[in-house]
Amino acid sequence: MLGLVANKRRIQTGARMPASQSLAPRPPASLETVHNILGSLVERYRQEEVLTAVRQIPARTAKFRPIPVWVTSALSEAYRAKGIRELYSHQAAAAELVRNGRNIVVVTPTASGKTLCYNLPVVNAVQEDPDTRALYLFPTKALAQDQLSELHDLSKRLDDRFGVFTYDGDTPSDARKAIRERGHIVLTNPDMLHTGILPHHTKWMRLFENLRYIVLDELHTYRGVFGSHLANVLRRLKRIAKFYGSDPQFICCSATIANPGELASQLIEKEGEVVEENGAPAGEKLFVFYNPPMVNRNLGIRRSYINEATRVSKEILARKLQTIVFANSRLHTEVLLTYLQQANPSKPGQPEPIRGYRGGYLPGERREIERGLRDGRILGVVATNALELGIDVGSLDACVMAGYPGTIASTWQRAGRAGRRTGSSCAVFVASSAPLDQFIVQHPDYFFGNSPEHAHIQPDNLEILVNHLKCAAFELPISTDERFGNVNLRELCEQLGEAGFLHQSGGDWHWIDEAYPADTISLRSITSDNFVIIDTTGEDRGKPEVIGEVDFSSALTTVHPKAIYIHQGQQYHVEQLDFDKRKAYVKPVNVDYFTDAIRYTQVRVLEVAEEETISDPAGRTHGDVLVRSQVVGFKKIKFFTNENVGSGKLELPENEMHTTSFWLTLGHNLLAELPFSLSERQGGIFGLLYALGSMATLLMMCDRRDLGTAVGERPPSAASEINWEDFAFPSNTSETKEFFEPNLYIYDAYPGGIGFSEPLYRTCDTLLSRTLELISACPCENGCPSCVGPTADRRERTKEVALEILGRLCRDAQFTATRTAETA
Amino acid sequence: MSMRYVSLDRIQGLKALRRSSTPKAPTRDWQASLLDDCGESHPRTKTIQYDPDRLSQILGASPKTNQYGDYLSVRCWCAQPPRYCPELRALRLLMPDALDEIADPEQWLFLDTETTGLAGGSGTYAFLVGVAWWDGGGLEIEQFFMREYSEERSLLFALRERIAEHPVLVTFNGKSFDWPLLETRYRMSRKISVPAPRAHLDFLHPARNLWRLRLGSVRLSELEHHVLGWDRGADVLSGQIPQIYFDYLRGGPAERLVPVLNHNQMDLRGLAALSSRILSLLSGVEELGQDGLELFGVSRICEKRGEHSRARKLYEKSIASVLPTETDRIARRSLARLAKREGDFELACELWKDALGNSRHGYEAYEQLAIYYEHKARDPEQALQVVRQAIDELRRAIQTGDIAPGPYCEIKVRFDRRIERLERKSRRPLLDAMSARAQA
Repeated sequence: MLGLVANKRRIQTGARMPASQSLAPRPPASLETVHNILGSLVERYRQEEVLTAVRQIPARTAKFRPIPVWVTSALSEAYRAKGIRELYSHQAAAAELVRNGRNIVVVTPTASGKTLCYNLPVVNAVQEDPDTRALYLFPTKALAQDQLSELHDLSKRLDDRFGVFTYDGDTPSDARKAIRERGHIVLTNPDMLHTGILPHHTKWMRLFENLRYIVLDELHTYRGVFGSHLANVLRRLKRIAKFYGSDPQFICCSATIANPGELASQLIEKEGEVVEENGAPAGEKLFVFYNPPMVNRNLGIRRSYINEATRVSKEILARKLQTIVFANSRLHTEVLLTYLQQANPSKPGQPEPIRGYRGGYLPGERREIERGLRDGRILGVVATNALELGIDVGSLDACVMAGYPGTIASTWQRAGRAGRRTGSSCAVFVASSAPLDQFIVQHPDYFFGNSPEHAHIQPDNLEILVNHLKCAAFELPISTDERFGNVNLRELCEQLGEAGFLHQSGGDWHWIDEAYPADTISLRSITSDNFVIIDTTGEDRGKPEVIGEVDFSSALTTVHPKAIYIHQGQQYHVEQLDFDKRKAYVKPVNVDYFTDAIRYTQVRVLEVAEEETISDPAGRTHGDVLVRSQVVGFKKIKFFTNENVGSGKLELPENEMHTTSFWLTLGHNLLAELPFSLSERQGGIFGLLYALGSMATLLMMCDRRDLGTAVGERPPSAASEINWEDFAFPSNTSETKEFFEPNLYIYDAYPGGIGFSEPLYRTCDTLLSRTLELISACPCENGCPSCVGPTADRRERTKEVALEILGRLCRDAQFTATRTAETA
Repeated sequence: MSMRYVSLDRIQGLKALRRSSTPKAPTRDWQASLLDDCGESHPRTKTIQYDPDRLSQILGASPKTNQYGDYLSVRCWCAQPPRYCPELRALRLLMPDALDEIADPEQWLFLDTETTGLAGGSGTYAFLVGVAWWDGGGLEIEQFFMREYSEERSLLFALRERIAEHPVLVTFNGKSFDWPLLETRYRMSRKISVPAPRAHLDFLHPARNLWRLRLGSVRLSELEHHVLGWDRGADVLSGQIPQIYFDYLRGGPAERLVPVLNHNQMDLRGLAALSSRILSLLSGVEELGQDGLELFGVSRICEKRGEHSRARKLYEKSIASVLPTETDRIARRSLARLAKREGDFELACELWKDALGNSRHGYEAYEQLAIYYEHKARDPEQALQVVRQAIDELRRAIQTGDIAPGPYCEIKVRFDRRIERLERKSRRPLLDAMSARAQA
């Protein structure tokens, strides 16, 4: 309480400050200021509809432990000189476990001093034995750079007794040799490890012979495809370490997710301990959920979240509180930046008070902005997720998030950008109308409770594994008694031999190709196959301009012929799609509609892994499937009214993919019992799948593009082929066919599957009950993009049908149908 | 531990197994017949694809054995090129700290490898390593060939012994390619330590200095043709060599390896001849060289190594024999620099005055001349005149579009600064004169 009073007094002095005066010293935020701001924001609206949550997170006091006695006196002295006399409890616990030779995962929020958890034991080990080497992996180059300065500082305090270097694509080639020899700690990223270090391991002999620690920071970012790749890169790393006679320990750090231990053990394939208790102090924080007010209740249209986020930010900035604004795309960053700079013009002779920060800015510019934030010369910054992970910008007063960052973990990380060890801070999440945003903003308990987010990877995805096995064979011949993932290595090598990549000699399998396999494998993207988009306006002048690119999987739906492609707010009409050359030719236009591709997707079940009846007559299954998809046409949809103003047919190549899928089967009786017409029932099934797909991305911590959805017939009656054009062009057909027993598929949109299907099968109950919550809490009437998808026609009772089906599916689950009754 | 493996049923559909150009992979039937021949109980015998005697016959090789196993060795002696004894003086132009013993030709080992790729990295193998040394007035050549990857260690061990006998390595582009690759191979063996040659002479850079201006390319075969006047006749393309070896490993005809071995032999002979040629040019280009470009090349090497007076003489000589325009300009500029260094301002000024004009070199000449008048001749008026002339030249060039705005600004700034200082100086001639006297 005392703190608050003191703050209040400071605020008053702050308020008297003439506006032209320099920013420092700024008053820290107080809860009262924040409440004032909120009050002025929602004056005209029903407060509970707009502010769906205002949670006060109490201040936390520090739990200290002494620096362990085994830490060398020079190192503890160096830390003391930096002002660290004691450790937080989790730091001490982590250091002890590492000392005892354990692999660990430290799970703590932003600004809890997690870097010390690995720097202390590693630097101490280097002090004790100067031969010791450690490899730090960060998901981005920028993060490695940031850690470098921290370690340099420590090294300087220890009379430069150890060498720290970053090794990435920017490292000049003449410096590389020195780094290989003299770097005690090498900071790099998974991509560089994959293409630059492992294939040249003989040059890194000193590092590998003495490799004792591998640090994996921001572990939670290694999920899905990227995580599955990394798990295989680590398999290769461990093989090479073993070759040189070392067996490194792993130190991992993760943001809060539900399964850090599981994720770590899947990645490193070793046993480890989870350190979860957080001993770092934190000031109080107000976390606010802001749902932009409705403008059209029927269609579920809300005010633009970008405009609302601007309004919120302006109010906060007007009180001279240092603020960070997060947007989810580069484009939105620029839009927000423009709005906020207009509202806060720079004074003559003074630096711009509001700055942007995103990928594409030059390193020097970034460092300057980071410094400006730390010393208070910059009042506000608009950033993409580039600033989400550990870059040191000091602690700010407020954080505004325009749109849901996608996962609870990154939402907390962004919110953690505001918050000092003492004093108050606030974080405001402004929801867009996307289903995930709407679910989160309307279910604060889901967010504030224990994290339900699981990070999943599939290291044994054959496509990924085989690619890395090729790299592994290039690095060291594969001996037949080795293990590499959960596969029959002998058989796989024989296959690779037949394909002409490997050759057996003296019992071992050797690489037998001129190519350097790591070059063709990207860890980040699903395929490296991209379509470029070319604006042909300048063609007459001989200057057609490339305006962007789209990845292969979304090219067919976004740049098919006659599509309206929207880039940086400008509409383009796709004149031609050159499929073989991977080029789309476009011209700028100004029309009042957008296009929505109709993708016909057919799923054939290849093998059932597990199946079970959930409330009879419905079942859940997961297994292997064959997905064939083709874009067969498109709809033109008018802006704002969402009217269907035309359609067209397309003939584009078909795409085929083996993958894994989870699916629900709705029994015939269940559907027959429903008191709706045939077309209403069908609309409801598609609407339900739309909502299930959205909720699945939430539970799986994945991107919407990582999961595909499709409706299909249960196998026994598959003989009666469905005429897909009926669904593609419902308005054109008078009669729609009844599904006998439909399957609702949610499949992994990556060949071979990326590990979502089985977890979805296991969490089926949660998936269903959360989807029920999503739809029933949505205030629209017949369905909107936030729940069951856009509906053009009021007569479609999509939402009602979807709720009815869900109600029946959840009958046995403890989740009650009463809420359904309320809304239905 | 019982383990349920991931099913490999769908492996044929994997993109990872597809390749852009399908090599001739041996068929199952072929492998089956091979297994019948060799018996499956000894996996080692499975790897020998050919009747060893026949392979040796084809390649003209003899099988050798050491503590690490077997390999093939091919030996021959050539009268061409003849043994050459280099002068230490010439060697020191390439390697300033060369010890006397480096000049002993008995110590030299020419080395060239044929590899399974050019990408480098631990998955690239040297399947054929050719070495050569002077013997009996000519060149003794030995080639180590591994019939299988499993023979790599014995090959490396044999090579190590040769390097111990002749510890001065001589290569062409071996500093950045062959030798690092072999170092990697030794490290990968985990058994045989990396040999430590006493010195490593690489002739790529000297060859570049001498002949790139004339030939454009300094590939070894080109140099042989144009510098030594040799004709290789039919030669295998280097780009095809890895695939020939892979085909052989997969059971293809061994006859196709013969041109690869010949190619390697010719590379070694070319390397030996070329090194002799380069060193004799460095010893006495004055007597040998009629070619202005060669003279120019040697003078560049001399200048780099600090042999200024020899470099100066050679530059003068190369300018006297007709050089291409661009090279001539570079030679004159270097000569002017050396003349300035030796205090021969008469020559330097003459060269600078000839070079004045609208070009990078031209403006540099203006600047050098201005510096000379200002600081050496102590004639600020003259200096001012030169700078004004340069600025006029610049103005004219920018008006006619003969200079890009970027370089224009950059150069203009430099002259503006100089003219400002000179004008300040000329306003206080007395002070200037006094300080000059004081300095003297």
